[in-house]
Amino acid sequence: MLRRGLLRAGQMIALSTLLGGTASAQDSILADRETIRQLAQQIRQLQEKVAALEAKQGSAPSTTADTSSVPASGDASASASQLASFQEAHEVRGIRWRGFGEVNYKVLNQRQPELATFGFVPGSAGNFYTGDFDLFLTSKISEKASVLAEVIIGEGDAQRFDIELARALLKYDYNDHLRLSIGRYHTAIGYYNTAFHSGKWLQTTVDRPLVMEFAGDGGLLPTQALGLSVTGQIPSGKLGLNYIAEYGSSDTVRPDLDDGTVVDENNGNHVNLGLFLHPESVPGLQIGGSYYHDRISDFLKGPSVRLAQTVINGHLVYAAHSFEILNEAFLIRNAYEQGGPISNMPAFYSQFSRRFGKVRPFFRYQYVNTNIKSSYHSDVLLRHGPSFGARYDFNESIAFKTQLDHTIRKGSPDLDGLQMQLSFAF
Amino acid sequence: MFLACWSLASAPHCLAAPTHTVAVAVSPKNFVSNVTLGDLRKIFGGEKRTWPDGSHVKLFSRAPGTTERAALLKLLGKSELEYKQFWTAKVFQGDAESEPMVLPSSGMQREAVTAYPGAITLVDATDIKPGMKVLKVDGKLPDDDNYPLRP
Repeated sequence: MLRRGLLRAGQMIALSTLLGGTASAQDSILADRETIRQLAQQIRQLQEKVAALEAKQGSAPSTTADTSSVPASGDASASASQLASFQEAHEVRGIRWRGFGEVNYKVLNQRQPELATFGFVPGSAGNFYTGDFDLFLTSKISEKASVLAEVIIGEGDAQRFDIELARALLKYDYNDHLRLSIGRYHTAIGYYNTAFHSGKWLQTTVDRPLVMEFAGDGGLLPTQALGLSVTGQIPSGKLGLNYIAEYGSSDTVRPDLDDGTVVDENNGNHVNLGLFLHPESVPGLQIGGSYYHDRISDFLKGPSVRLAQTVINGHLVYAAHSFEILNEAFLIRNAYEQGGPISNMPAFYSQFSRRFGKVRPFFRYQYVNTNIKSSYHSDVLLRHGPSFGARYDFNESIAFKTQLDHTIRKGSPDLDGLQMQLSFAF
Repeated sequence: MFLACWSLASAPHCLAAPTHTVAVAVSPKNFVSNVTLGDLRKIFGGEKRTWPDGSHVKLFSRAPGTTERAALLKLLGKSELEYKQFWTAKVFQGDAESEPMVLPSSGMQREAVTAYPGAITLVDATDIKPGMKVLKVDGKLPDDDNYPLRP
């Protein structure tokens, strides 16, 4: 009786606190979850006290605390209402907010300043910058429909900040085979862009590989677009085959690395088709590829001169059992529709890391080779080199990373860099 | 050895389940009776989000330090830290609304599978109660030899 009374008291405290909490703080799901965690802890402590009292009284201790907490038939309604309040606290209707932030310090032995991104001042001996402050929100509209949006407050030059709507999607999940999204999305060219999006905290390294850097920050690919995306699983047994199809306008605007001059590719509508496998026999393995096609203008020769832009990707990723192995290769092909030279520009990166407790050392090698005769990316040319460092997770939400880079550049001195980053999720 | 009872399909069953075996419990309304270990990994990894009848999978888990949690982490091949970060990433990728709800007791697990037809949770086999339907994993029940789900 004493045991049940204490448990009931704990449950009633949890119930009343949760109901009050949900009513007054609908926009604070994280606080609610923390409250739930604390209450669960309190219940466990009460259970332990009961067990100790029972032991003193000579009664046989229960086999497990959990079994004893299963309500008898008379307590079923109390437990059901407690579950409902847990559920309500967990799935508060309205907008759920999450976020990511970062603080960086970077040093480059850069003699000729290159593009400044994320607030880094080119040509400086080293400086702090905040990078992206990322606000992520979701809202469930119905059982199958939801809204997802990602707003980034990014640092520009001289600690000025701009706001970008990185993603804004109306999603409809019909079933595992058909998931629709319409709005602004990160294109599914390869793996990296849709695995890590804009959250630096999510990725192991301090920065993205150059080829996968966002186009607005000097990257080579159309990383963002506005349109329709369809994805899902293809019935394939243990093969675990998935597809993705996108149709939209990427409207890529990319700054030149040398002088920051912004180049608008004046895109048409792209088609991006991808297939990837999650074989059941090797959990954590993903093998796939994608084909992206668009028509862009040659900004040097005028908007009427059109180029067929094709990006082909192949990737092999393994992320399980503390390992993270990322390998992606790209071929960017620009061909004049009216005939003329064709530019084939290959790029790849390989990244290997393994977690040891809270520390995850990593190594990455990246390679980009663009065509000097191409209207696009002729500022990049051949760049390749290693990066290595480590990520330390203070807890599940805060990580510190440090990274050393050595980049070999065609026609320019080699570039060495040290980057440090404190990134967090909230 | 503890005695555990549940309703499998339509008939109730009782068996002596070995300690530290984890059962897969779903709603009695769920007509699925067997899952492969691969399917289970996809379900608890947020990859498979609907049941064959089209209803949505609703994941429930237990807190860190429990037998069920240990089995879950082993199933997914992740540490506790990696598991938390994995779900944060899933939410950010738009593939999940939130981390699976953590329930503090097996009683609440029972209520969860009763209340939600799409619910699924891992339960210590000694905590199985009437009202929970236990799924076979690769054709095996928790007391069978070579049952694959152990912490």
